[in-house]
Amino acid sequence: MTTETRPEYSSVGKRETRIEGAGKVTGGAIYAADVQVPDMLHCKLVHSPHAHARIVSIDATKALAIDGVERVIVAEDFGQAVKDGSNPAIDASNRGAALLAHKQAVFTGEPVAAVLAETPSAAEEGVEAVEVTYEVLPHVLDLEAAMEDGSPLARPPVSDIDHSEEEAHVTLDVDTEEAEGKPTNVASHVSFTRGDIEAGFAESDVIVERTWRSASMHQGYIEPHATVADFKPATGELTVWAATQGQFMVRDTIMRTLKWPETKLRVIGCELGGGFGGKMTLNSPLVAALSVIAGRPVKLVLTRAEDITAAAPAPRAMINLKTGMKKDGSLTAIEASVVYGAGAYPGAPAAVGALLGTSFYKWPNLKADGYEVLTNHVSVGAIRAPGTHNAMHAVEQNIDEMARQLDLDAGAVRLQNVSQTGDPMASGQEFTKIGLDETVTQAIEHPLWKNREAAKAESTDTKMVGVGLAIGGWLGGLQPAAAEVMLNNDGTVNAVTGVNDITGTNTSFAQILAEELNISLDQINITTGDTKTAPFAGMSAGSKTLFTVGRALREAAIDLREQMFEVAADRLEANENDLELKDNAVSVKGSPDQSLGMDRLASMTTGFGALYKPLVGSGSIAARIQAPGFTAQLVKVEVDTDTGNVELKDFAIVQDVGFAINPLSVEGQMEGGAVQGMGIGLWEEYIYDDDGKLRNAGLLDYRMPTAADVPDIESLIVEVPSEDGPYGARGVGEPSITAGGAAIANAIADAIGARVSEIPATPERVLRALGTVGDGAEAAGS
Amino acid sequence: MAKQIFTLNVNGRDHEVYTEPNQSLLEVVRDELRLTGAKEGCGTGDCGACTVLVDGRIVTSCLVLAPDAAGREITTIEGLADGEKLHPMQQAFIDHGSVQCGFCIPGMILSSVALLEENPAPTRDEIRRGIAGNLCRCTGYRKIVEAIESVAGS
Repeated sequence: MTTETRPEYSSVGKRETRIEGAGKVTGGAIYAADVQVPDMLHCKLVHSPHAHARIVSIDATKALAIDGVERVIVAEDFGQAVKDGSNPAIDASNRGAALLAHKQAVFTGEPVAAVLAETPSAAEEGVEAVEVTYEVLPHVLDLEAAMEDGSPLARPPVSDIDHSEEEAHVTLDVDTEEAEGKPTNVASHVSFTRGDIEAGFAESDVIVERTWRSASMHQGYIEPHATVADFKPATGELTVWAATQGQFMVRDTIMRTLKWPETKLRVIGCELGGGFGGKMTLNSPLVAALSVIAGRPVKLVLTRAEDITAAAPAPRAMINLKTGMKKDGSLTAIEASVVYGAGAYPGAPAAVGALLGTSFYKWPNLKADGYEVLTNHVSVGAIRAPGTHNAMHAVEQNIDEMARQLDLDAGAVRLQNVSQTGDPMASGQEFTKIGLDETVTQAIEHPLWKNREAAKAESTDTKMVGVGLAIGGWLGGLQPAAAEVMLNNDGTVNAVTGVNDITGTNTSFAQILAEELNISLDQINITTGDTKTAPFAGMSAGSKTLFTVGRALREAAIDLREQMFEVAADRLEANENDLELKDNAVSVKGSPDQSLGMDRLASMTTGFGALYKPLVGSGSIAARIQAPGFTAQLVKVEVDTDTGNVELKDFAIVQDVGFAINPLSVEGQMEGGAVQGMGIGLWEEYIYDDDGKLRNAGLLDYRMPTAADVPDIESLIVEVPSEDGPYGARGVGEPSITAGGAAIANAIADAIGARVSEIPATPERVLRALGTVGDGAEAAGS
Repeated sequence: MAKQIFTLNVNGRDHEVYTEPNQSLLEVVRDELRLTGAKEGCGTGDCGACTVLVDGRIVTSCLVLAPDAAGREITTIEGLADGEKLHPMQQAFIDHGSVQCGFCIPGMILSSVALLEENPAPTRDEIRRGIAGNLCRCTGYRKIVEAIESVAGS
């Protein structure tokens, strides 16, 4: 759906297959774990078996006696790797600095020692032989208990909370208050208010107040974390091959942690086997430090169990939500307490949840508090639109329930109340141009929504059918970016960027160059350079790869075109304004015989004695205007009331992408995110025992959707152009995950007339909602 | 553990391997033969990223001891194309936008090829069940199913 007329484009906006697709279907693409360096040591980690324990001693004697084991490194050793001899791991209160646990381990699976050996199997043997003596300390796992006065502290008080991962995804104009005074497990608190909530609730015809929970989950990338670092003592050069969404972030983190000069540090972002927010810097500083200490290359590839247990999953949330509505469907007030479990190091998206959970609708009165609470679980990281799916699950169930109690159409109620361009968010900051209204409009016109009564009529005694709707969205990240485009001697074009292509962004980049230079895709090559060869670009995160680097490339292409025109104007004795770039040549408009081929032009800038300078187009942008992307998602479910099993029958995702530069890859992003939302809604959950040990640290028990679990997804692209994105594009990657869990919960409620208060909606939780198991406390409504 | 010598036939070529007998087929193919197309996503046979064909049947190579594959015909993703010419399934995955990060793709393509060998005209549901042992986190599966369907229908 195009809502504004737009120019005719020759390349952008067309469905294109990936320009580098052959490497990934033939096994030729190189991922970090594929890298082998001569004389390389293999690293395996010793993990704490306790959720909270003092490390009394670490004895490596037996490990070092094993054939092939070279070194056993502990936290105290890292001073050897840091330029000024300081040691970041000592008393580290941020996960990034805690290369290995120092003095105490604060979650089960926290690495306490690193074994370096000639082979992976020798390293594994070494791990078994390292003797660590622990003194077990009291732990805290429950979020509510952790917030109580007198709760055991999950860890020593923290300082300097590191929000760099969250900020990589979103730019928030919000001040977060870090905990001060008496030590507590509440690491940070953020608060927003507007109007008078008591007055708002007083004029409500219905008030719904519920507590909603959503589980901690893994990002689900199929490639476990992997890093290879190669330090050359003679030259002082450090090279790192990393499985990361952001090679420059890895570089900067190693620089800060090890005080290593960036002139001596090359980070190569390999092909990445999925990130979704989970592949930032995790082990890179550790492996870099190990290589410096050992004076040899070191490789660390996490096992799947390690990756699930001890990488950086997405947080669980507990959200108490009170909302009011009038009979005419207008909203009156929202009061939200949004609690995210950070795990044992701070960094959970409390501000995101409190802000986005209360900003997508026009609430005249609001009070929102976001809390980040420490417990003895693995510390959390980002996931696609970090924190948002948790918040939308709560808000969208409340909206749905209020509409149901007032006998209003839940779709029309949403359309009536969603935020518009210029409306204030909870923080007071105004929305830039957005297409939430258009997105909801398209969703409620969809047959899946319009025919929901007919769908419900398909129900039998034990198979109840329902349809659910939910909205979601993401503000999008902002980060500067640069790019270079060079005219080759044969008239083709090479471009270099520093951003890692995970999902096909290089193809969209090529489309941008093809558009601006009026050439075909096969005349363009996009190279992802490393941190020593590429101009700066931010991470492939925050839905901003194309939004920022695409703009820089477009500027670079325009710059190159202008330089070509300058040469051609001189050669053809024409005015630059009379020139056009067409059919691989610069010619005078209307006089095709006055023309200079791009190959000929290029040779005039490179040959011996050539008169003109080489042509290199540069683009460099600062990104300041966000382009929020919204989604509305529809799902039809069938609930087996005997077993509690929920089957997904149909799914549609509507999303405003601003402008789809490559609709094929845009659909891929929408479908992939939607299926992750299905995992959130029905299956994916970290399950811990009372000692804080993860019970499902494998892909059999941590259940991600398979092809057989999910229906075909219908993707409906809405295009409300953004103000600042290339050709009006918005960020696409993240909104798609934000609404599926909520839509499924609403569909279940539509089917069975009762709400699950916690997702994933496992069979047990569905049966509890039905009152057929448990105490039947979770009846319909509030 | 004492190393052994044995011969693996991979992609039509015999390779003499000298390695510990407790090495998995995946480890030997990746680390000794340097064919890194097969990936390790879990090491427990749950994700399918390590899928290879042994005598034409799909196998999660992380669960097979390498010496047990001696004397069999092993096909990895590197052996599927005919020189420059991609296997129709490889081409279909490109044409349908079925590839994002690509980590699951070698295993996914081999499973898809084996599926059509066994059932040349599968329904959409049969395709979905046929690749249920291969996890993909990026695509949502739809474009993969469409790619397989296009090869089956051609």
